[in-house]
Amino acid sequence: MLLPTPTTNEILPFRTEGFRTLAEGLDYAARGRTGMNFHDSRGELVCVLSYTELRERAVRLARRLAATGMARGERVAVIAETSPDFVVAFFACQYAGLVPVPLPLAVGFGTRQAYIERLRGMLRAADARLGIAGRELLPVLVEAARETAVLGVHTVEELMLRPAAAVEPEPLGSDEPCYIQYSSGSTSFPRGVLVTQRALVANALAIARDGLALRPGDRCTSWLPLYHDMGLVGCCLTPVMTQIPVDYIATATFARRPLLWLELISRNGGTISFAPTFGYELAVRRAQTANGIDRFDLRSWRVAGIGGEMIRQSVLDRFARIFHPAGFDARAFVPSYGLAEATLAVTFAPLGCGSRVDRVRRGPLFEVRRIAQPAAADEAGAVRDFVRCGRPLPGYAVEIRDDQGRPLPERTIGRVCVRGPSLMREYFRDPAATARVLDRGGWLDTGDLGYLVDGELVITGRSKDLIIVGGRNIWPQDLEWAVERIEGVRPGDVCAFAVADKDEGERVVVIVECRLQDRAARAELRREVHRVVTATAGVEATVVLAPPRSLTYTTSGKLSRAAARERWLAGDILDLDAGAEETAAALVAA
Amino acid sequence: MTAVPDEVELFSTIRALLSAHNSAGIEIRRDTDLAADLSIDSVAAMDLVMEIEERYDLDIPVNEISELRTVGDLVDLVRRQIEERRG
Repeated sequence: MLLPTPTTNEILPFRTEGFRTLAEGLDYAARGRTGMNFHDSRGELVCVLSYTELRERAVRLARRLAATGMARGERVAVIAETSPDFVVAFFACQYAGLVPVPLPLAVGFGTRQAYIERLRGMLRAADARLGIAGRELLPVLVEAARETAVLGVHTVEELMLRPAAAVEPEPLGSDEPCYIQYSSGSTSFPRGVLVTQRALVANALAIARDGLALRPGDRCTSWLPLYHDMGLVGCCLTPVMTQIPVDYIATATFARRPLLWLELISRNGGTISFAPTFGYELAVRRAQTANGIDRFDLRSWRVAGIGGEMIRQSVLDRFARIFHPAGFDARAFVPSYGLAEATLAVTFAPLGCGSRVDRVRRGPLFEVRRIAQPAAADEAGAVRDFVRCGRPLPGYAVEIRDDQGRPLPERTIGRVCVRGPSLMREYFRDPAATARVLDRGGWLDTGDLGYLVDGELVITGRSKDLIIVGGRNIWPQDLEWAVERIEGVRPGDVCAFAVADKDEGERVVVIVECRLQDRAARAELRREVHRVVTATAGVEATVVLAPPRSLTYTTSGKLSRAAARERWLAGDILDLDAGAEETAAALVAA
Repeated sequence: MTAVPDEVELFSTIRALLSAHNSAGIEIRRDTDLAADLSIDSVAAMDLVMEIEERYDLDIPVNEISELRTVGDLVDLVRRQIEERRG
């Protein structure tokens, strides 16, 4: 019978510091007995990859990669399935002096063609020379690699059969890149975040030592995609750099059976696991139809991290309530803030305190002057709760700035800018996009809006998504979350944005994906959406009841409001009931 | 081990599972488009796949899912998977 790797190394001392590169981190971890455990779609353990074996296989593959004749620093694109082969390929690149580019996976029915195009865009932007995929996805990657600079597409197994280089290649050094992550930008012009070894090492250390206070006995559990910073850096590379074992299920497995996540934590005594709010939400949703919450034992879970999108306290409260009987302690919640451009983490809320909110007053002070005035604890009505994401990690700084770049005082909302040892070097081969976010003083404009309170960061939204109507700031999330609560509307069905109308005012548009076939039922829903939008933000909106799948999401599952706006303006998203509301053309045209 | 269900039986079982996602109440046929006609988004798709897997004790590969367009495609995939499983 297969047994998971142990939680601790009995002989090898726990060590987080002193590594200069990712390869050095694995060299050390390989001397112990811990490693990675992969589970299938039923949660059965199907593959154990100790760090010893990971290193052995990565070095073996590196010698084959070195024999292909690729030049040092060239890119190898690898489809980031949650599999031993992906991790081996990623680390083989480290040992071979090549730069891995993790590629995303497809989701949903009938998405194959769009997926191939997205992959092709990334292969081109990264100027990749080699593609690696599992057997099942190989044909997809082969097709995507057409008319790109990719010379070959193979499985790890195939590459292992090739001749090895006579000389062991030189691993990527501390001044060299570590990987390129494509997380933003459009299909045709994706933006690749180039993370250096120095940045990765700095961020992994800050996360391990200062954010999580990792110690022997910690064990990570993850379903997060490995093509994303939270999954890759947080739940794969940081564990390697700290010899912490990881238990994996694939993201698609989690989407089908969210409770397997909690089952795995229960079974192996997981202590650390991260998810965006929607992960906790999926578990809550499934738990409501499943029985036997008490079959879980979540007492070991000391850090239930949250990041990746705006944190919704109400979801965390529900999760804590439902899983309390299984021993879940709400104090385990640790909100954090980070982004791929900073490798991963920038701030961490203090451990053991749970998720804490800052309740602010709505009204002109907040919406016009952008000042987050604290509301009384018992104040109801016009208030808004924001989650405190904690202080910057040691060595990092956060500054809130106005649109002219001047620093703002505490409790004033502005652009969130960060500085620290793990900022990306650049958007790969995109100096214009890089210059827009990185300044000479070493500050990164994150594109997020937020404010500071007691030195803690509070995020209020994305700056490019902010709606300003009549001088008032309206956060699209507020509208979306309110509309999502309407009966029959689901999370992710709603998108709010503003367009300049023909009178040069801002018009709020709310798109709701609608599955109702009955015209009268749709009219009813439309009335309700209008009512909720007005009640939430006090504005009139154009409500668009659109066919399902009208909205677009980034690979990280973030709603792309800009894409929805663009498509609606172009007439690509039409109301199911023509004539029910003003069309984009009528609204915008003079 | 479950016997390989015949075409009619398989189709009617899958149709029954799909009915939960058929809020519009349209007639489900082999050429019904899963995404466009039945509004099955990526989250609902995973729910549905799980129900089918549980029913027939299968593991449907994720990449196959992205290639499915119609109800007929889905029925055929499930039949192939059941047959493979039986060897």
